[in-house]
Amino acid sequence: MKNQINIFKNTMKVVWFISVVFLSVSCEKAFEFELPEAGSKEDTSLPVASFAYIPNAENFKTIEFNNLSTESIKYLWDFGGGNTSTDKDPSYTFEAGEGSYPVTLTALDGNEASNTVTIDVEVVDKFVPIPVTILNGDFDGGSSDWKFASFTGGNTNPFNSSSDGSFTNYDGTDNGAKTKGAKWTKSTSAGAYLTSNTRYAYQAIIVSPSNVDRDVKYILEYEYAIKTPAEQAGVAPGGNRIISEVLDGHFEDGADAVASTPISQFIGSEAKGKTSHTLVEQEFIANASGEVSIMFYAVTDVDLYLDNVKVYPAD
Amino acid sequence: MKYIKLLIFAITGALLVSCDTDEFLNPLPDSVIVAESFFQSDDDVLAGIIGIYDAVQGVNENTESSTVRFNRGVQLEYLLTEHRSDNTRSKTLEGSRADFHRYIVEPENIQSEDYWQSMYEIIFRANNVLKYVNKADATNINKYTAEAKFLRAYAYFNLVRLYGAVPLVTAIVGPNEKELLFTRVAVETVYEQIVSDLQAGVDYLDNTHKSRASKVAAQAMLAKVYLTLATPNYGGAKDLCEDIITTGGLGLEDNFSDVFYNELNNEIIFAIQYLSGNPEESQGFSSEFTSYKRQGRQDGLNIVNPNLAEDFIANGGNRTAVSYAAFGPDADLPIPENAEVIKFLPDGSDISDPNLPTYGGAPANAGNDWIILRYSDVLLMHAEAIMAGGNTSDDSAIDSYMKVKVRAGFDAVADRPAVLTVDALLLERRVELAFENHRFFDLLRLGVAHEVLGAHAEEMGYTSYNIRRLLLPIPAREINLSDGILTQNPQ
Repeated sequence: MKNQINIFKNTMKVVWFISVVFLSVSCEKAFEFELPEAGSKEDTSLPVASFAYIPNAENFKTIEFNNLSTESIKYLWDFGGGNTSTDKDPSYTFEAGEGSYPVTLTALDGNEASNTVTIDVEVVDKFVPIPVTILNGDFDGGSSDWKFASFTGGNTNPFNSSSDGSFTNYDGTDNGAKTKGAKWTKSTSAGAYLTSNTRYAYQAIIVSPSNVDRDVKYILEYEYAIKTPAEQAGVAPGGNRIISEVLDGHFEDGADAVASTPISQFIGSEAKGKTSHTLVEQEFIANASGEVSIMFYAVTDVDLYLDNVKVYPAD
Repeated sequence: MKYIKLLIFAITGALLVSCDTDEFLNPLPDSVIVAESFFQSDDDVLAGIIGIYDAVQGVNENTESSTVRFNRGVQLEYLLTEHRSDNTRSKTLEGSRADFHRYIVEPENIQSEDYWQSMYEIIFRANNVLKYVNKADATNINKYTAEAKFLRAYAYFNLVRLYGAVPLVTAIVGPNEKELLFTRVAVETVYEQIVSDLQAGVDYLDNTHKSRASKVAAQAMLAKVYLTLATPNYGGAKDLCEDIITTGGLGLEDNFSDVFYNELNNEIIFAIQYLSGNPEESQGFSSEFTSYKRQGRQDGLNIVNPNLAEDFIANGGNRTAVSYAAFGPDADLPIPENAEVIKFLPDGSDISDPNLPTYGGAPANAGNDWIILRYSDVLLMHAEAIMAGGNTSDDSAIDSYMKVKVRAGFDAVADRPAVLTVDALLLERRVELAFENHRFFDLLRLGVAHEVLGAHAEEMGYTSYNIRRLLLPIPAREINLSDGILTQNPQ
């Protein structure tokens, strides 16, 4: 009986021991801080990557990306060529200019679940040159809008107003009779006849500037007429001629304008007679500031006429 | 008595059999009205239809001031539309009403949540009427159906433009049918439903009412939907507008002020009516538009941006003096900083003294109608439909445009443009329809919203603006209720 109890005691010891070990092991699990997992649900709202893009208004090569991803907080952009970004709405400049570039966006949520989308970004130069309006280009308003503000050693009167302009209206239709125009004579000529009475017609305009990406071409268009020898005799040194210039910049003082180096110059010397006008289309490349001005003057012994001055972008 | 057990058994059995279990266990309550028992006659269906307008009308904040669980209907719409355009802003920066104009609306925004709920209240009530419409007189069924569908389309048109893809519910569904209630449906599908609902209005409604749906209202709204579609139906919109112009019996009021202060006038196509001084049927927005001597609950809402005042001064004509007013020191500025909307002044207002404006006896319970559609909108839509996204020299387009301009005091000959540009049309709509919740949708529809609002946000220093802000966030409450079915817009 005593033996039996001893055996029982030993068995009990073993059982106790095992129980304690088991409990202590299982406790670790039982006391584990399991609140974050308790009752938690699987995240079924997964990220969907998406984006749109708009070219920058200043530079078509810079693309502004608009992230349209949902259910996400982290973003990885791949613009190709090893260029990446982790911004939400990055902008990126495709230096190579026009073309199609695959851009990849990976959107991730807090659990690192991710979704990836690749969209071909079209980089297109949608440049449209700004239109130019020449004020009083048909000279119906006499000499207004054609004067320098001042003229050191000269004369701000731009020309003589004339009723012997072109038969063509400013919009290109036939007027059926003479329109108003501008007129130069020997006494208002430059060149060999340069005096303080020499007349310069001047108007400042704004064009789209040229830059490293492109030359912006414009056309200065006008009509001129020079009297024939039969109508009026005399030839100025160098020939009877009208000079049209596109100047680099805007000028307050006519003397500075005359002294400047023009971007473009054209000399018209065709003498077809009064009201028989010759059309000139003078192409020029805009400067980097976009501020240019146009200037007309004449060197002539006989009467010379100018009409219908326009500036428009060259195709 | 020895058969007593048998007797009890027999009686119990008979009782059990005689019970219609369905009716017995689900009795229709006698003391409250439920849909099943309510709709019995033509009058009941008509009452149901009037109930839909009640949902559009909304509850005045001055009557029930709790910000939760009240449908404000159309009364808060200016926050979601005008404030998010370049037209107006909140005077204060405090509170959720001040988030709209700065483009920082959160999914928890209470006013956005209320508007969403209000629109779905309209949809629910319309669906409810459609379910029981066969209890109406046979001659009225088509008309009532079309009226409910018109209002459902109105609500969906607002939702889809403000929130993008939304759940499309077109029948009464139980609260547990979550897939139906919360699955977002593609924008194109929502528009298909809107077009078909409005077509019913064009086919079956007449022009009896201005404060209820009518044929011209359905035509005008359908024309606007056609112009708004991703691929606009310009031809359809043009035909609808021309039909309204020739057969709608409408015309412009001679005096611009009469459009707003002569209710249901000849120019009105569809307006939501309010009753002055009646807490149940009045509106609160008129008082919120005051600021210098404020009558509302806020410091002043729908405050006119200087940028809009500039457009008014240059292009408003005689509309400027009756659209907004400046008080106190602002009255002396060439371009007021803080002008107030005066298209909806409460009864008895007198603003002739810029230092002492008065607003009658009950400004908080104002009765000014809310105009949803009016004739000059149709005239400008007619021009827009002909322009088809570009400029036009079409005479009939310019005629319609000039009718609106001439009424505003411009000269029919001297001010007539040879070419009508999109910019000019947008500008005309801005000054003609200012504070009538058109501007934001106009910018979206004509594809210049990001361009115009981006520049506006930069000018005003609203740095939170980005293109995602053109859609409002889906209200968080709805997403929470949906068990993850309803998805959020990109944030």
